[in-house]
Amino acid sequence: MSNALKDLLFKMADDALIIGHRNSEWTGIGPMLEEDLAFSSMAQDKIGHAQALYKILNDVLGEADADTLAFKREEKNFKCCQLVEQPIGEYDFSIVRQFLFDHAELIRYDMLTQSSFQPLAQLAKKVKGEIKYHVMHADTFVKLLGNGTEESKARLQTSLNYAWHLALGIFEKSEFENDLISENIFAGEEELKKRWLQKIIPIIEAASLKIPATDESKIVYGGRKGFHSEYLKPLLDEMCEVVRSDEATAEW
Amino acid sequence: METLDPRIKRLSLETSTEVEKTNSHLITYEVFHQEKRGKHVTHVGIVHASNPEMALVMAKEVFGRRGKTTNLWVVKTSDVYTFSSEDEEMFETTPEKTFRDPAYYKVRDRIEKFQNKNKV
Amino acid sequence: MYGSTNLSEEDAKRMNSTVEDPEKLEAFESRIARGEKIEPQDWMPIEYRKQLIRMIEQHAHSEIVGALPEGTWITRAPNFRRKLALIAKVQDEIGHGQLLYSAAETLGKTREEMLNDLLNGKSKYSNVFNYPAKTWADIAVIGFLVDGAAIVNQVINSKGSYGPYCRALERICYEESFHLKQGHDNVVYLATGTKHQRAILQDAINRWYVPLLHFFGPPDKLSAHSEKLMKWKVKLASNDDMRNQFLDQYVPKIWELDITFPDPNLKKNNDGIWEFSDPDWNEFKRVINGAGPCNAERIAVRKFAEEAGRWVRAALMNPTEKYVAPLA
Ligand SMILES: [Fe+2]
Ligand SMILES: [Fe+2]
Repeated sequence: MSNALKDLLFKMADDALIIGHRNSEWTGIGPMLEEDLAFSSMAQDKIGHAQALYKILNDVLGEADADTLAFKREEKNFKCCQLVEQPIGEYDFSIVRQFLFDHAELIRYDMLTQSSFQPLAQLAKKVKGEIKYHVMHADTFVKLLGNGTEESKARLQTSLNYAWHLALGIFEKSEFENDLISENIFAGEEELKKRWLQKIIPIIEAASLKIPATDESKIVYGGRKGFHSEYLKPLLDEMCEVVRSDEATAEW
Repeated sequence: METLDPRIKRLSLETSTEVEKTNSHLITYEVFHQEKRGKHVTHVGIVHASNPEMALVMAKEVFGRRGKTTNLWVVKTSDVYTFSSEDEEMFETTPEKTFRDPAYYKVRDRIEKFQNKNKV
Repeated sequence: MYGSTNLSEEDAKRMNSTVEDPEKLEAFESRIARGEKIEPQDWMPIEYRKQLIRMIEQHAHSEIVGALPEGTWITRAPNFRRKLALIAKVQDEIGHGQLLYSAAETLGKTREEMLNDLLNGKSKYSNVFNYPAKTWADIAVIGFLVDGAAIVNQVINSKGSYGPYCRALERICYEESFHLKQGHDNVVYLATGTKHQRAILQDAINRWYVPLLHFFGPPDKLSAHSEKLMKWKVKLASNDDMRNQFLDQYVPKIWELDITFPDPNLKKNNDGIWEFSDPDWNEFKRVINGAGPCNAERIAVRKFAEEAGRWVRAALMNPTEKYVAPLA
């Protein structure tokens, strides 16, 4: 069972770290001061979630400490989906990505509050409130911008179309799917995806946007198995630049 | 443009871009913060926002990202009524109305006087 | 300093030529003399309003531009603790900008007008942010010493006469104590670390020494004085006094780590006054006038943020609502 658990924790932690890292890039250059603060707080929350998940891997499952897992792991061992690896692009992409990702995240954590794996159930209960805010924030902006000007509406639609098949890649199944379900650890990606669609469709409609058509063959899978977009490697090289600049025992 | 910031490098900016002048601005909401249940809700500042929902979402991170918060209120600035500052004189004599003041009522002196008189 | 209170000659002249209602002026000045604060709806001399807007606006610009040098390393912080601290710290600086622009808005200038003036060069920001953050050690030095210098300035200004500015500064100073602590922590880790870590720290201190001395503005003997701004509690301490206070608080904290400053004349006299080699004030002027190593980059990045965010703000605009200046 520990391999199934590790797989689940790594993909969640890596998703949170990479999207948090990406969103932190907006700190200081956001579209307005208030939103700069909000986006930055949510980036910090995500990075905090990654740290907490790595800590469970360390405390309970015998993996290395959080800093080592985040800053000293090879790209192919990362399990994040390719949605979170994409560059921040313009603000419309970043807000749409946040909207699609955070709805999945909120439902995932909500499901995990029932997990038979106690450390994860406890963490889920603890951070659910934070993600609830992330979703509230995303919904507010998607609705305002979708119903804003012609330009904002067009931008959101374009980004939604672009992000759609990347977002469906969030739900890439792992080889341990059945174990996780039968052990009541996590009710599975299929269930998560079903609930996610139910949740986001009415909001996309309220934002006067069109729901992109799903083409199964275009869904971007691979991330969960260690196959990443061209963007992850440079992201990790940048993130680890300082760590790699000195002897391995240096403390920062 | 040369930069040491990898984020900025990715933007490949030109230094010469002209910026259009902005003249429009969002309205402001006055933000009120309640630290704990049972405490007063107090004014802490403003946020720029286009509607009350956005104002709340913004207020949470502008004024609630440290310490404790149980709730935030937002009120459109133009919806707040205040006294004009010249009317402050209406409040001037209030502190003099000591009959509303507990410290004004000093019975101890009188009691002691009464007790001393009885002793004699 | 963050918000400079040194008057240009032209400003000084204009200020003396405005005639204010003597009765109102007398009431205003005696209120300040009693230690009371001025609130936005109060009567105030034109020059008081003008100088406050100028100062608070410059301070606000310094916060949002100040987020940029540290932002240089935001994607490269070496562990969770530093990554979270740096993002939160840079975020706070944007938050300080938000609070300060709001305080200036109560005086009748909108945030957009202020941002326009930053981008078209009409309005300045602190010189110290026109220098680059070359290595990770710069993040430690900025967090500890640039923020340390800023705190000296901000604590003094928080005793000023304008209510909204004082309230903003109170909040800001509370947050700054975290900036200082995390900066000091970072400095101490580098100073007590590997040879490489000590070397990049020493190099960063060498480069930031002069900009830090410049931070508080020209020496008193070279800068125009304004009795009036002192009386109105817009300016509360002289440049030299603030600089001395900074050196007194922070130099020993670097020396105790066996790190040096690149100035053989830096020492404290028996009378408590610090001596140092005169930093090149022509360099200071050159940088103020746009020739610093990063002036062009800082403005270009702020222009980008304005331009890239324009469609967002336009979409959020509600044409049925009319803007009024914030209350407090
Ligand atoms: Fe600040
Ligand atoms: Fe600071």
